[in-house]
Amino acid sequence: MIGILKGMATTMKHALDGETFTVSYPEEEPDVSPRFRGVHKFSQERCIWCRQCENVCPNDTIQIVMDDQRNGEQYNLHIGQCIYCRLCEEVCPVDAILLTENFEFVGDTKDELAYNKEELKNVPWYKDLDPLESREPDREAWVGEGDGEVDYQ
Amino acid sequence: MSLEPPEPELDVGETPDGELDYDELADLLGEHVLDREEHVNAKGFVIRPDSVETVLATLREEAGFDHLSCLTAQQYPDRYESIYHLKKYDDPTQELSVVVPTASEEPVSGSAAGVFDTAIWHEREAYDLVGIEYEDNPDLRRILLPETWQGHPLSNDYNQDQPQIVPLREHANPMEKRTQVPDRSDTMFINIGPHHPATHGVLHLETVLDGEQVVDVDPDIGYLHRCEEQMCEQGTYRHQIMPYPDRWDYISAGMLNEWSYARAAEDLADIDVPEYAQVIRTMAAEMSRIAAHMLAIGTFALDIYGDFTAIFMYSITDREKLQNLLEDLSGQRLMFNYFRLGGVAWDLPEPREQYFQKVRDFCEYMPGRLEEYHNLLTSNELFQMRVLDTGILPPEEAKSYGCTGPVARGSGIDYDLRRGDPYGYYDELEWDVITDDGCDNFARALVRLKEMEQSARIIEQCVDVLEDWPEDEREIQSNVPRTLKPDHDKEIYRAVEGAKGELGIYIRSDGTDRPGRFKIRSPAFCNLQSLEVMAEGEYIPDMVAALGSLDIVLGEVDR
Amino acid sequence: MTLAETISSALGLEGAVGQFVGGFIGAAIVGTFILANAAVAGPWAKRKITAAFTDRISVDKLGPLGIGIIIPDAVRLISKELIVPEGVDRPAWDIAPLIIASSAILGFAVIPMGSIGSVDLQLADPEVGLAFVFAVASIASVGLVMAGYASNNKYSFLGGLRAVAQNLAYEIPLILTGISVVIFAGTLQLSEIVATQQQSLVELGPVAIPAWFAIVNPFAFILFLAANMAEVGRNPFDIPEAPTEIVAGFQTEYSSVYFVLIYLGEFVHIFLGGAIIATIFLGGPSGPGPASIGLLWFLVKIWGVFLLTQWARSALPRVRIDQLIEIGWKGMLVLAFANLFVTAVIVGVLAPL
Repeated sequence: MIGILKGMATTMKHALDGETFTVSYPEEEPDVSPRFRGVHKFSQERCIWCRQCENVCPNDTIQIVMDDQRNGEQYNLHIGQCIYCRLCEEVCPVDAILLTENFEFVGDTKDELAYNKEELKNVPWYKDLDPLESREPDREAWVGEGDGEVDYQ
Repeated sequence: MSLEPPEPELDVGETPDGELDYDELADLLGEHVLDREEHVNAKGFVIRPDSVETVLATLREEAGFDHLSCLTAQQYPDRYESIYHLKKYDDPTQELSVVVPTASEEPVSGSAAGVFDTAIWHEREAYDLVGIEYEDNPDLRRILLPETWQGHPLSNDYNQDQPQIVPLREHANPMEKRTQVPDRSDTMFINIGPHHPATHGVLHLETVLDGEQVVDVDPDIGYLHRCEEQMCEQGTYRHQIMPYPDRWDYISAGMLNEWSYARAAEDLADIDVPEYAQVIRTMAAEMSRIAAHMLAIGTFALDIYGDFTAIFMYSITDREKLQNLLEDLSGQRLMFNYFRLGGVAWDLPEPREQYFQKVRDFCEYMPGRLEEYHNLLTSNELFQMRVLDTGILPPEEAKSYGCTGPVARGSGIDYDLRRGDPYGYYDELEWDVITDDGCDNFARALVRLKEMEQSARIIEQCVDVLEDWPEDEREIQSNVPRTLKPDHDKEIYRAVEGAKGELGIYIRSDGTDRPGRFKIRSPAFCNLQSLEVMAEGEYIPDMVAALGSLDIVLGEVDR
Repeated sequence: MTLAETISSALGLEGAVGQFVGGFIGAAIVGTFILANAAVAGPWAKRKITAAFTDRISVDKLGPLGIGIIIPDAVRLISKELIVPEGVDRPAWDIAPLIIASSAILGFAVIPMGSIGSVDLQLADPEVGLAFVFAVASIASVGLVMAGYASNNKYSFLGGLRAVAQNLAYEIPLILTGISVVIFAGTLQLSEIVATQQQSLVELGPVAIPAWFAIVNPFAFILFLAANMAEVGRNPFDIPEAPTEIVAGFQTEYSSVYFVLIYLGEFVHIFLGGAIIATIFLGGPSGPGPASIGLLWFLVKIWGVFLLTQWARSALPRVRIDQLIEIGWKGMLVLAFANLFVTAVIVGVLAPL
């Protein structure tokens, strides 16, 4: 009987302390870590079309189309198929593809989530967070590391 | 400890310093051993397919190999091969592989089901996917794929283009089947799941009831089979495999799963991991463990208290707090992809002091919360009435079914790979392995609650270590080649202590940058098999409680 | 004057016609009032209470504290598709929700809910009032069995069986405990039972502790509370539903309006349980202040019982069916008889001395 009362007292304590853990979402947004991996942002100006991101992508989410002169024509990324592993950002030598902290994206159909380079470019920064700022120190360790051959295709 | 434990009697083939003398073991088996094979951390004995039972029984009775950890089956161009990975519950570093080749034309092998109960499911899986037939297996049906499936997908001659559309009428009618168990007249067959509030996912229990009591239960799995092993075989070692372990046991245990792959692949390719990265790994893994156990406790309470219980929300709240910490560290809340071969992806987030403070705050906050859980759960008389002495899993059965993790420790088996087969930074830290002799649902829940305490202890120590780490020695990754190509035919089976138990990975390299065979030893898969022992003869609510106390995640069971 | 008389005299009707029309309109008023309470409880109060226990916010967008959610919820629930599964036993399957919902409302016919001015808010005051309440309250279990049996679903069937077993085991202790109050009050008439509780038990200076039977015989009160939890099927005795065991028990196959009826019936049932408790143990509509706020006190009491059921839901585990039967037959029944015996001895033997 004591145990039952203890249990009931515990829940009543929570009911009376008035604290809530959930937030009233659209009005109040929970904090997102600077390292959070959200929708991609792509910069055609930076991209050197080395295709490393396409290569490293574990589930063929990125599709790159180039012409005969190896000039980039299309950069397509299906953000509904992406598993947000951040490997594309990790291998990119010029920071042309980044994962913003933006987690709010919707589409009525799956097709709407297949982004081309224009749509990728227009992905907004989330609360003006620059993902590179939080990632820079470790990026140094990554870029230019390793003994093996670099496969630029 | 004040008293030295008495010198344990050595098994055959065991040297006094806890190593294995494979020659002595070979002598024990005598003419059964046809050949020897080198695997990275366990030597293999090649035996004839018809002597499987004899050999395994001898090894179990006389050499003390009482844990059939895993069974890997694969097809080579000239033969089929089943590898039984044996271990000891007393000392998991003593490992032995028993390799059973069978002919390509007629892949028939003896079965280990007479020695280890866990072999029944493992062999069913091998039969289902690879196509080896195990003669004496009492229940050789398909397990992951539907029973109408044509062919065995992992065999070399499998036609991938063959359509697998089977009309409904060719499926067994779930209503007709086994409405009665022989010798019982008034039983009722009932399908619990795959859409049922208490099956923790898409698990289907084919249950026969006598009134409210369970007469027979047969778990039907495979609804969430996503070919995780084959996906890993398609990916490169260096990058592409690591995101996927997060998705096996997707309930917050991502770090632990990643570690299982990292450990196997690092040992396979001889990669060193910097000590600093090991400490971070240990801390992250223990955070994952607490998060996973929180959910286990929450859903267990849900099964027993009903769906408006506050405990579930409290544990989810605490799990969220951990996910915030893990998000700060890795950038995601569930699918971390934080480990890399040879280290971790990122150093601790800046400012470090602030992060340490957050982690410390959580560790200080934990005991108060755990006390609440004890008030709500373990000290509640009604709860005790419900779970004490229900869902009994005796230690002998637990061993035979290959149970590990909190399920085994709740049956009094002192088995924890973090201590028994140390990796990471665990052997430098002070913590205890929690066991409980209750063998019932209560014991398993209690073990999880106490393990969270120990995990918090480990995290605190890790924070201390990390705080004092000299700034110029913070190496998070060792220098790993961009393309990893382990030697041809190098084989390894390595396990870590996941949230649910021993999570093992078998990798065979075929000389390319992708694994030739990748096999996951899922702890939930093995634990789930023991449900029959726990549930039969009990009431439906106790079966549901036993299922909750097993803490299965269907993503891991079905892979 | 009773409510029905007031209405008929206001309409200028007399005799049998007046009685009928007055009673009919009065019943409609009481029924609507109770259903309005259930409507507040179901989509809104229950969410808010559960949310408070679990540190959440819950509905907060429409109206003050989100109370406006009742309207969209009503529209949503009623406009859903009614799915009739194959092979259900048709008339029984359709009637069951009606029985569950209506039986509980029926009980409020005899509950005294205080008075406004000279009008008594009690539809009828028969001499067998308490017996009537218990009788109609237990009709609901017939509905549960019908639902469980007619649904052609094994889970529903199990739920129906559980409902019968549970109601058999708990109805008797419930009524026996109720009878102990009857022995004190000397009547089955509910207005008389309430009136008996109006005297003060002890005077502590200015504070008079009323002779509520909950204070006179707290043991019987607790016993009745526990048996009532089983009677209305709430934790720790929500076994006929037991979502994590048998999906939703007897109501597994119900959707749309039928589901609403069952859901509503459950809430009305909780309120009826609360009304019985309030009437026979907590002095009905009595309380500090003028008699005209009696209705308010009555509401506070029944909502208090509702709150208690939700509180128990958040903190107490569901017992197993065999344990429930054991508690019912071996525990509660014995205690109820003991309570009845002791009460009888006190009232019949000791009090006259």
